[in-house]
Amino acid sequence: MSTKSIDLTLEIWRQKDSKSKGDFEKYSLENISTGMSFLEMLDVLNENLTGRGLDPVAFDHDCREGICGMCGAVINGIAHGPEPETTLCQLHMRHFNDGDILVIEPFRSRAFPIHKDLITDRSALDRIIQAGGYVSVNTGGTPDGNAIPIPSATAESAMDAAACIGCGACVASCPNGAAMLFTGAKISQLSLLPQGQPERKERAMAMVTTMDKEGFGNCTNERECEAVCPKRVSIANIARMNREFVKAALLG
Amino acid sequence: MACSGFLLILFLCSHAAGNATLFSSVALFQAYADMLHSHPLIVSMFSKGLLLVFIIHIVTGALLFLQNRRARSQGYKVQRRAVKNSQASATMIYSGLTILLFVLLHTYVVSFGNHKTIGETIVNLFSSFFVSIFYIVSFIGLAIHLSHGFWSMLQTFGINHPRYNSFIQRLSYLMPIFFLLIFGSIPLLFLFGTGQ
Ligand code: HEM
Ligand code: FES
Repeated sequence: MSTKSIDLTLEIWRQKDSKSKGDFEKYSLENISTGMSFLEMLDVLNENLTGRGLDPVAFDHDCREGICGMCGAVINGIAHGPEPETTLCQLHMRHFNDGDILVIEPFRSRAFPIHKDLITDRSALDRIIQAGGYVSVNTGGTPDGNAIPIPSATAESAMDAAACIGCGACVASCPNGAAMLFTGAKISQLSLLPQGQPERKERAMAMVTTMDKEGFGNCTNERECEAVCPKRVSIANIARMNREFVKAALLG
Repeated sequence: MACSGFLLILFLCSHAAGNATLFSSVALFQAYADMLHSHPLIVSMFSKGLLLVFIIHIVTGALLFLQNRRARSQGYKVQRRAVKNSQASATMIYSGLTILLFVLLHTYVVSFGNHKTIGETIVNLFSSFFVSIFYIVSFIGLAIHLSHGFWSMLQTFGINHPRYNSFIQRLSYLMPIFFLLIFGSIPLLFLFGTGQ
């Protein structure tokens, strides 16, 4: 694929720290190679800003290969940008055109305070995991990986749920600021497998309760989460969480 | 929300079946109404139960709307949806309020209005063009509400399985259209003078 160069106008949310108010700042960028990733484009901007003695735009990133879940921003109203099943770091500039105006905003939700610029505090998701996203394992020698038989279809469903990288795009895009896709995926992944059975009921109760306590909204089945999820985690996992929760609440 | 929605759908089914007698004749409809009212205990139990279900549905719906608006206290400068066909789900509270307005007016007329027989009331009511149009517009609101509500209810109950999803999807189109046709054709019937 041949690479071109494009010029862009960026409108980026700048916020000094969690207490400041923040506002949009406009930047022009010229000669951006369409072979660059979105984050590399931001790197170029930051180099320019640093060279001019200005504060670079803070944004989260780590692996830059779409597997760690650190990166993320809302580009023109869509979390992780316009390409489906793509994290921001894997989004390439060839999907944009010369002269585009890109409005870049941090992932937002009541449960996601903003640290700085595009960096959002997503630790509320960690606290949901802490509440029940674990299995208990007896100490001793390493168990044989294939000692517990698991049907292939079950393993596949668990793996699909486990594809969640916890980036928080589901929360950011949800009109209700709900974290049900994330929590549903984590609960599903463990409740499907034999290793997750001992804590199955406490897990469903604890994780759902923590989700509410953290200030996330309620799911009204808008499907926005599934549409922006870089790993296409299905809302079938939310349905499974609902079943797990009702079972745990009714049968104790 | 989903439980009360389910009960409301059951009510719609029975109400649609009852009203369908009008397709035969006003006399049959009158006989159906008289038969119902010859069991005052049943009528009173069902109407009070229905009122309760409606109140539960409206209160939980309003709470949900307000809680979620607060959870999304921080919006975006560019508001866009990645999902296509999200109009019905994004406007549940408004389609719901349209139904509420309709239900209030409708109950006022048919249950508390002064009239001789219910059959006559219906004939009088739908002789007015504007009343008929208002009814039809409300039924369209109901169909929109259900086009999200029915599927949403099943998803909330945890009913989501690759084997049934395509069937559920078809049903989510057909069911609102079914109710729209049954309820909507009654005012049309009288408007065009074919009801008797
Ligand atoms: C015959 C009348 C009605 C029927 C059959 C009906 C049915 C339903 C169903 C099945 C749901 C889905 C429940 C779920 O997703 O868990 C729903 C949701 C809802 N209804 Fe109704 N409803 C009716 C009247 C009303 C009225 C009068 C209001 C008044 C404001 C209302 C407001 C709502 C709201 C706000 C929701 C939640 C939206 C969401 O889940 O996104 N509905 N309705
Ligand atoms: S930086 Fe790791 S997923 Fe994007």
